[in-house]
Amino acid sequence: MNGSVIGRGTVVRGNVRGSGSLEILGRVEGDVSVSGELLLGEESAVKGSVSGSHITVSGAVQGDVRGSEAVLLERGARVVGDLTAPRIGVATGALVKGLVRTDGEPVLGTPRRPATAGARPVAFPARAPAPVPAPAPKPSEPSETVEEPESEPPPLPQEKAAREAPPPPVVPALAKGAKAKKKKRED
Amino acid sequence: MAGTVIGEGLSIEGDVSSEEEVVVQGNLRGKLTTTDAVSVGSSAVIEADVSAQSLTIAGQVTGDVTAAERVDLQAGGRLIGDVKASRLTIADGASFKGNVDMDV
Repeated sequence: MNGSVIGRGTVVRGNVRGSGSLEILGRVEGDVSVSGELLLGEESAVKGSVSGSHITVSGAVQGDVRGSEAVLLERGARVVGDLTAPRIGVATGALVKGLVRTDGEPVLGTPRRPATAGARPVAFPARAPAPVPAPAPKPSEPSETVEEPESEPPPLPQEKAAREAPPPPVVPALAKGAKAKKKKRED
Repeated sequence: MAGTVIGEGLSIEGDVSSEEEVVVQGNLRGKLTTTDAVSVGSSAVIEADVSAQSLTIAGQVTGDVTAAERVDLQAGGRLIGDVKASRLTIADGASFKGNVDMDV
């Protein structure tokens, strides 16, 4: 049996080391180092450095967290210390105060993307980002059409000439004025 | 399921204090205190004073043990240290070296 649990009502003052997986629901004041998976539950509190292969944090850690595979901070996690792992996920609602560094050898060829919807990998910009190509201007786009449509005076001289009656050409002019009036009335 | 399990392969150096059942299958060096039961599995190696409500030993314990209720030293278990408990059983095949205080 390799699954160890430090229960909710348990306090450990000292170092915890070992192989296999460990689940901490209580408190540890000391360093924790396991070779397997490490789970820090919601009400857990660890004061000391933490290391494991795959570390999931939902509780509080005051110390560095180092995962040989991954470190995932769930909602409600509070970490004051540095995070180091090839894969790091920080969910919304998790608090971190410290240096976050995706370290180690990422597997080449596989695209990096968040494994879960809630977790988002935080990449430390160790390398300069690839230069973004500037948007090339498109020559096919006609530039004259841009300025025309809004500044068109509504009344058409032909209409005026065709009708002898005095009423002005209401439709386009009113449309502009009416909009503004309508807004004011709504306010 | 016990509240706290120190599994095989895990070792703790320091004090463990608890308010729930503690099962030890791994290594513990320091001190173990709980208000509930302690079970020391056959693969466990403990170098610590142990204080508990009740204590069952199937592995190795080096240190003084105190139980509010009882101590059971099972066959294959090995205890080097003093026992303070109102009830004590020592199974045939267990190893024990130490004083016993049964509060008489």
